[in-house]
Amino acid sequence: MLHRRKGAIPYLLLAPGIAWLLVFFVLPMWYLGKMSLSEGLFPTFSFNWAWGNFSEAVSSYQTQFIRSGEYAAIATVIALAVSYPLAYWIAFRGGKWKNLFLLLVISPFFVTYLIRTLAWETILSDDGVVVNTLKWLHILPPDGRLLATSVAVIAGITYNFLPFMVLPLYVSLEQIDHRLIEAAEDLYASAPRAFYRVTLPLSLPGVFAGVLLTFIPAAGDFINAQLLGTPRQYMIGNVIQSEFLAVRDYPTAAALSFVLMAAILVIVLIFAKVLGTERLTVAA
Amino acid sequence: MSEAFTREDLLRRAVAGGALLSVPGLLAACGGSSKSAATTTTTVSTTLPQTIVWSNWPLYIDVKGKRHPSLDQFQAHYGVKVRYIEDINDNDSFFGKIEGPLSQGQSTGRDLIVLTDTSGLPGRMIELGWLEKLDKSAIPNIKNLQPIQQHPNWDPNREYSLPWQSGMTGIGYDPKLVGGDIDTLHQLLTDPKLKGKVTMLTEMADSMGVTMLANGDNPTKVTNATFDRAINTLQAAVNSGQIRQFTGNDYAPLLAKGDIYACLAWSGDMVQLQADHPGLKWVLPKDGGMLWTDNMLIPKGGHTYGASVLMNWYYSPTIAAEVADYVNYITPVVGADKVLLKSDPAIAKNPLIFPTEEMLANLHQFDISAVNNVKYKKQFQALIGG
Amino acid sequence: MRWIKHHLLTGYAILALIYLFLPITVVVAFSFNDPKGRFNYTWSGFTLDNWLHPFDVPGPQSALEVSIEIAFLAALIATVLGTLIALALVRYKFRGSGSTNMLIFIPMTTPEVVMGASLLTLFVNWVVPQGFGTILIAHILFNISFVVVTVRARLVGFDRHLEEAAMDLGANELVTFTRVTLPLIMPGIIAAGLLAFALSIDDFVITYFNAGSTITFPLFVWGAARVATPPQINVIGTAIFLIAITLMLGNIFLQNHREKKGAVPA
Repeated sequence: MLHRRKGAIPYLLLAPGIAWLLVFFVLPMWYLGKMSLSEGLFPTFSFNWAWGNFSEAVSSYQTQFIRSGEYAAIATVIALAVSYPLAYWIAFRGGKWKNLFLLLVISPFFVTYLIRTLAWETILSDDGVVVNTLKWLHILPPDGRLLATSVAVIAGITYNFLPFMVLPLYVSLEQIDHRLIEAAEDLYASAPRAFYRVTLPLSLPGVFAGVLLTFIPAAGDFINAQLLGTPRQYMIGNVIQSEFLAVRDYPTAAALSFVLMAAILVIVLIFAKVLGTERLTVAA
Repeated sequence: MSEAFTREDLLRRAVAGGALLSVPGLLAACGGSSKSAATTTTTVSTTLPQTIVWSNWPLYIDVKGKRHPSLDQFQAHYGVKVRYIEDINDNDSFFGKIEGPLSQGQSTGRDLIVLTDTSGLPGRMIELGWLEKLDKSAIPNIKNLQPIQQHPNWDPNREYSLPWQSGMTGIGYDPKLVGGDIDTLHQLLTDPKLKGKVTMLTEMADSMGVTMLANGDNPTKVTNATFDRAINTLQAAVNSGQIRQFTGNDYAPLLAKGDIYACLAWSGDMVQLQADHPGLKWVLPKDGGMLWTDNMLIPKGGHTYGASVLMNWYYSPTIAAEVADYVNYITPVVGADKVLLKSDPAIAKNPLIFPTEEMLANLHQFDISAVNNVKYKKQFQALIGG
Repeated sequence: MRWIKHHLLTGYAILALIYLFLPITVVVAFSFNDPKGRFNYTWSGFTLDNWLHPFDVPGPQSALEVSIEIAFLAALIATVLGTLIALALVRYKFRGSGSTNMLIFIPMTTPEVVMGASLLTLFVNWVVPQGFGTILIAHILFNISFVVVTVRARLVGFDRHLEEAAMDLGANELVTFTRVTLPLIMPGIIAAGLLAFALSIDDFVITYFNAGSTITFPLFVWGAARVATPPQINVIGTAIFLIAITLMLGNIFLQNHREKKGAVPA
């Protein structure tokens, strides 16, 4: 049931947040949009309706676009697989320690990214326990390594965005009424079936949110590829970074950014349609 | 140390000139007009400001506990406060930060900044007219500048810049893992024993410079032909899997742990690594190595006189020695090693901090106009970006 | 068999937590390292010195204070703004809800470099001096979207009957909201706040562009890493979340105490 009441209430609620976004996001994006249609060499750029920037951007960096999508998708799937049971456990078995566990999940972020990554470089070191074990299990060839490969980059992305996946999942799972599950079991559903027919569907809003919060920033990430990968793993985020800061070709950087944003939005919309989000974003 | 100004002189002048806020401060107070170019007319002031704002890289000045003795000494001597901010951690990013105000004719709020020559940015800023000229009358100690530093290709008469510290780019390696010594880039790029255990630098001037030298070309005057040749050399090594990664200074943990056996490395990093891993070695390639320099610059709107006096302070051998003793990079000030010979001979005799004549003869500086060439930039980015 | 099934989940959760904490244990371990050089890359020896003198290196202390202040304020404000938006989007049908949805998503798709640099352009054009304030503005900006998405997941599954029941019993809208709705969606709000805090305290790229000469902890670490990685950085990182955990434990005990006294159930 929705409040169909006309009235200022929704707008009042929205006002402060939306105002913030309009001023500090939309306005800069407007400037950026103008830049994407400009041409020239740093620091003089002139607005020129240069639509060619976009097609050039896409054709030059096709590989990186696709790669980013792949890496982000894989990382999201792995993150989901790892996070769902964890979130479930915290929500259903956490008891009064729930908030503490949530904090534990977030806490790796308190240690700066660079130091965490250095720690991973130590853990995944060519001569470390992990790599040696994998070699012993013949998963890795004798001269193999984990660092400076796409495995390391994807692992890094997954790790980095794990809390983004756990939190929304937890939020959704935590409020499922246990009596619904009990009812299902009373009606002779086995535990797995009860999960599949009751818990899982009710947790879909969380899944949707978690996937969004993970996939979207992951697709634009550059830092994992930079520190854990080689040139062959560079993502579109790395390209944008270098066009912006190193080459200082602002029109190309701007065009690439918009293409990236558009691509992500398209993927998200498709995903939403598949999941039937109409149910998810509107209260039943 | 020049005693041309006595402390009393300066204090008197400062008081007489009124509490002159540095130009940036004035602008901020007035809320500055964004488009007018009025802010960029330099008032040729010969009085010191109350505060000098200096942006530098972190841990790049002498440290004792929580203080910086050389800065404290300056402040005591001149009665001027220095606001020392360690907010530069990447050339391009920092430039991205200040180019906004500079392109609008606004001041950056800083009197002194430190940028690396091989980033191309000091050269670029001169071209764009975004730097103030040094007040050389306030820098008599400029006579202590190392000869090799006196005429860089991007600022031939040192009108806009003075070196802060330098570093050498050479080959760092672990002789145990390599199974011997290395002294050429060619070996780095082709020795099968090193496959996948070699890194190069994301810094174009360093990677391309050393490669050009190995190809027998001159990195100080880059041409399309020499550039392409170097790109091809490196591309081959990338394609064969010889080069594991292009890194910033994060080759250091890899080398320390033995994940890589050899790499292009900076002299300052090696000094630190060798403290914990004395077995690691560093050499200048036989064909030559590169010299990079972090330069002190005065951004437009900065207080020229104040910044110049501050630069002068650091060109006295005693003060330069204080800094070199801690920072362990290459000081541009002649005579600093003599001062250190008495107080810290280990540092004074370390060729990575005070290179020998032979090494200096084999060091080259990269053609900065090549660094700023968009076509070359994109070629190099394509090489390191996959 | 039942035992295994029941404890399979717990075992799995523990594995996941171990995975999360693997690098952290390395970070903690290396906070006790005693390198002779300035880099903290390989183990050299054990020392308590770093913990006894965590702020010996100039820079981290003030950087840390700034980071925590900003993270706290940004999380607070973004959570409020974002929760309001989430409420409006879920509870009300109104013109422009589609575009509002877009407006929430798009910032999340924007690469950090782009967001940071374009925001800086705005500040420069408006002659806003960069520093603490601009960092705060930027952090609130990127946090809002994340808060909305998180809180919304909670609101969507929320059982409206509870509200209806309260109103049937005579409570007006405001009372219903504060006494029924808010407490029940609080876990979502807290989760969103935690996420915002974590995002803020670890942010580098967007902060860098808009920091002026203010230095946050990540900025300091990245800058210093060119020449040194002092173990004190590990100490500080470890300390932050030890403090956070202690606070959370305190909160739990406080709640237990309240429960025992027969107040609101957890």
